[in-house]
Amino acid sequence: MSAAPNRRPFDAGRAAYLALNALLLAFLLLPIAIVLVFALNPTPYISFPPVGVSLRWFEKFFGSSEFMNALWLSLWVASVVLVLSIVIGAACALALARGNLPGRAVLTAFFMSPLMVPAILTGLALFQAYLLSGIGRPVWGLIAAHTLVAVPYVIRTTLAVLHNFDRRIEEAAAVLGASPTRVFFEVTLPLIRPGVFAGGVFAFIVSFDQFPVSLFLVVPKGETLPVVLFNYMKFDLDGAIAAASMVSILLALSVVLVLERLIGLKAYVKL
Amino acid sequence: MTNVARPSPIAWLIAPAGLVFVLFFVLPFAVMTAMSFYSGNPVTNPNAFLTTRHYERFIFDTAGIFHEALWSTLRIGLVTTLVSLLIGYPLAHWMARMQSRLGHALVLMAVIAPMLTGIVVRTFAWMTILQDKGVINTTLMQWGLIEKPLPLMYNEFGTIVALVHIYVPFMVLTLTGVIGRIDERLEQAARSLGAGRLRAFVEVTLPLSLPGILAGSLLVFALSISAYVTPSLMGGTDVLTLPMLIAQQVGTSFNPNFAGALGVILLLVSLAIVVAYNRILARLAGGQGMA
Repeated sequence: MSAAPNRRPFDAGRAAYLALNALLLAFLLLPIAIVLVFALNPTPYISFPPVGVSLRWFEKFFGSSEFMNALWLSLWVASVVLVLSIVIGAACALALARGNLPGRAVLTAFFMSPLMVPAILTGLALFQAYLLSGIGRPVWGLIAAHTLVAVPYVIRTTLAVLHNFDRRIEEAAAVLGASPTRVFFEVTLPLIRPGVFAGGVFAFIVSFDQFPVSLFLVVPKGETLPVVLFNYMKFDLDGAIAAASMVSILLALSVVLVLERLIGLKAYVKL
Repeated sequence: MTNVARPSPIAWLIAPAGLVFVLFFVLPFAVMTAMSFYSGNPVTNPNAFLTTRHYERFIFDTAGIFHEALWSTLRIGLVTTLVSLLIGYPLAHWMARMQSRLGHALVLMAVIAPMLTGIVVRTFAWMTILQDKGVINTTLMQWGLIEKPLPLMYNEFGTIVALVHIYVPFMVLTLTGVIGRIDERLEQAARSLGAGRLRAFVEVTLPLSLPGILAGSLLVFALSISAYVTPSLMGGTDVLTLPMLIAQQVGTSFNPNFAGALGVILLLVSLAIVVAYNRILARLAGGQGMA
């Protein structure tokens, strides 16, 4: 594929290949662009082509107490989940990588398994457990559920960093007289920080956009933003949903940029 | 193995995660399984007894909807997987063979950005495109190509289109890793021996990427059979899948025991897929020397 000396001026096969891929990229990105168009469209129903630019849907979204309560609940839950899953996930990753635990592969697979089990079943199982134990549906139950599905992301990104870094740096610090505690706080922790942060960003997004796990665990009037949007969309498809979607998308995009800055996206591609 | 590697004190750091996972993952699934064998709530109702009637209800399907729901769940999953593969492969190939680092980062961003946009939002995007007054129907009618709107939504077609859009990034990311590991010189060798570009691809690259195709397909299949949001919003009254049935049993029928039995059935189906997926990934990791 490197520029061959006898390269022909026009390569139909190559052009078709590039055109096909451009088309597929458009398929991935256009729907999201269209949401932006509808968020700024002033007509009361979804209409195409757009007839102007207005912020009325953003006003409706930010002016509705139902949406705002849900947005704040989602942000609050996601923030708590972020902190909890960073602490729990990073500790777990350190134990898996450095603890000389027997059956490490099995344990790692176990801690990844919430990603393998259908999320709606995690929600159902927790709903049943809360029902049987008479806990009801408190917010901490929702936070625990989100933490459970967020922790694997932190474990994965932290493990990726731990596998890549040179253990001799820690050994050198120990040889030079640092105590194990000091080695941990001054060498290991700063080195794994990008992985932990990246995992935390995923944890936040996973919680903020979480639907299937939340579905059975929220109470009426105490619903998270995705659940409120879902219920609204069953009956109404106006621009307020588009505006709410834009707010979520902007949040996600800023997160992608933060990620790129922190570790580079490549580290994440190891699915 | 006996006493060479003793757990170090760091191993205790696993305790918080272990506690969370036992309390909020292992126990709840045990509860769900137990509930599926009870006639009612065994804690509040002293008359609740052990029974297999929820499973019998599903197996004998006197209502005539459960088998159809299972079948349409699997059918939607299968079609979604095939279309995702057809769409995902060219993108993954392009990304894996791209020389420019910037180009690679940009395409990667384009693939990941939709992944970070919630499922509800992406389903909404497709509703605005496919509904009767949506982008496609309005445009086609303005051009005079059709008289009345095409039925693009509230059916299986719309459901599959949106599901493909939601899960194709998983396919692309799985495939890119595998295609990137195939030595490009193999294809070049085939071409210098006289094979055309297409033949070199079909006979060299494609067979070598087969494990990636399988792994990506199983992942997308497992994800799409457990989807709830998209089929229930895009499917209308036409589509009833297993996850929708479960939500119905919890929400409207309030029969958590039968919901538990349906949950166990869906869990078994997806666990079988996950085991196959892990087998293939393990073989992939072990078989790097094959190229």
